[in-house]
Amino acid sequence: LDSAIRMWVFLPLVIITFLFGVIRHYVTILISAEKKAEPEQVSDQQVLMRSRLLRENANYIPRQAFASRKYYFNDPEHGFFKTVKRENAMMKNPMTDPSMMTEMVKGNVLNMIPMLVIGGWINWAFSGFLTTKVPFPLTYRFKPMLQRGCESLVSLDASWVSSASWYFLNIFGLRSVYTLVLGADNSADQARLMQDNMMMNPGGAAGGQGFDANKAFKAEWETLEIVEHNWALENVVESLIGSSGSGGLSDDLLITGAAEDAPAALIGRGGPRGGAAVSPGSGRKRGK
Amino acid sequence: MDLGFQKACAELKRIREEGVRDSERVVDLWCDCVSRYTNRLGDEKWALYEQVFISALDCGRLEAADACLVQLSRQFPNSQRIRRYEAMRLEAEDNLDAATEIYKKMYETDKLDSLSRKRLVAVLKARGRSVEAIKELTSYLKDFCTDFEAWLELSELYLNECDYKKAAFCMEELILSNPHHHLYHQRYAEIKYTEGTTESMELAKSYFAQAVRLNPNNMRALFGLLLAAGNCASSTNKSSTSASRRESARLAQWAAAQVAERYRAAGSKAAKFTTSNSSNSSDAASSDVATLALQLSLCCSPTAAAGDASSPSQGQQQPASNPPML
Repeated sequence: LDSAIRMWVFLPLVIITFLFGVIRHYVTILISAEKKAEPEQVSDQQVLMRSRLLRENANYIPRQAFASRKYYFNDPEHGFFKTVKRENAMMKNPMTDPSMMTEMVKGNVLNMIPMLVIGGWINWAFSGFLTTKVPFPLTYRFKPMLQRGCESLVSLDASWVSSASWYFLNIFGLRSVYTLVLGADNSADQARLMQDNMMMNPGGAAGGQGFDANKAFKAEWETLEIVEHNWALENVVESLIGSSGSGGLSDDLLITGAAEDAPAALIGRGGPRGGAAVSPGSGRKRGK
Repeated sequence: MDLGFQKACAELKRIREEGVRDSERVVDLWCDCVSRYTNRLGDEKWALYEQVFISALDCGRLEAADACLVQLSRQFPNSQRIRRYEAMRLEAEDNLDAATEIYKKMYETDKLDSLSRKRLVAVLKARGRSVEAIKELTSYLKDFCTDFEAWLELSELYLNECDYKKAAFCMEELILSNPHHHLYHQRYAEIKYTEGTTESMELAKSYFAQAVRLNPNNMRALFGLLLAAGNCASSTNKSSTSASRRESARLAQWAAAQVAERYRAAGSKAAKFTTSNSSNSSDAASSDVATLALQLSLCCSPTAAAGDASSPSQGQQQPASNPPML
């Protein structure tokens, strides 16, 4: 290819795309409203986190403690998940809620319009010739994709790329460069924005502010209902000193030994037992 | 101590990143080398000013604290964080009313400001009004229930009020958050031990055992295990069978043997590094503790074997078993 093409088309396209991306990023930051979290939302999220911890680590607290917490969360009359109803965040549908609407419109405008404008200009200014060649061979199907402006050259190898297609390639390709330059989570990242847009619509809830507390509570209630309590410390004495006074962990626990991995191996799991007082004596009977 | 500017900065940075509370050292490093050359630091100096400010308040060196605060407020006017630091400065001067005012205002403007609420609790604690501090902290925890620092603080406040059931509840929250941390298990066991009922003693025994399993070098948990097992072994409650008492006695003996072994090992290790005089004394001390522990465990086994009859002698032999382990 002519070196003039290289200098005057190839590089400027890259530079233009990149600069516009950077400008978009900063303008988005300046324009977009600050996302303020509701105190209620924050505390709801924390309650959900607490309930999740309860589910995961229930086996380390005594049966009575677990029962009282489960009652606090799940009881049909007084439980937190049953009685607390939050005013719904379903209002955050883009069509009905004005503030979400403006956010979306701003986002779309800021991203789509420059792309269209520049795309059009490039098509007009740089049409009719090849810009570059992709270094690997491509099949015929790629031809319309890669050779936007020059349909006339039917016989041309699909590896050659026209300027318009090069521009589009740049938009997607420079995403990783943006991450390097601007740090992750930058607003110039169009492809990700488009992905977010796709996922928002089928979901039915708006992204960002759309934390639906009621649904989350209901889901958490169900998962908490089915948790069973198997007290992990049921057989702790047995595993500590062994069932006949020798063996078990007693050798490992003398000072010279490294006992770091011992607990992992020996967390006893008893069957569910009624009553609050669990005595290791009964565990020992079972062991024998 | 003149460490040289670079080394001083590096050490301050290490203290900052590890979260160590070594305030004296920080302020000394600051006054000796760093304060004169702050323009060499660039953007790191703001973090440094903060660190020195808080350490200076901790040590009571208010002039150093003021110098830092002036610099910070010049750089960041209208900042919530700086406002909070000003309130902390007032707290350090014991001007608690003004500090409370500032914290209340900050909380009203921003409901999500957890740090100023926590400082409010600290002020109430400083005034000695534990009941109000507890109330404020519980309402804070209603909103932010995964703040484990706060649960720990609440547990301490309840312990000061001797409300052991509620303190145990707070420790359970902490165990839920981090179930493999041996100190949480140990603390919980101590609270249960202090409650004194038979079930709580059994629970204390199990949790001490768990703490020992998680960290075999936890001496406090070993001693706790010894005492709790001893109590279980000599309990006269109807629900404890003789088999369980024998079991507890065996556990107590095992714990005593562990303690004795550790003291012996520590004594001999000390003997390698010190002169013969001190090694003799440390040897003697460790063997004293060892024999004491063995005696204590020997007390448990005959009483367990004898059954219910020997309650008065149990009272005599285990005089030290019931003080609150805090």
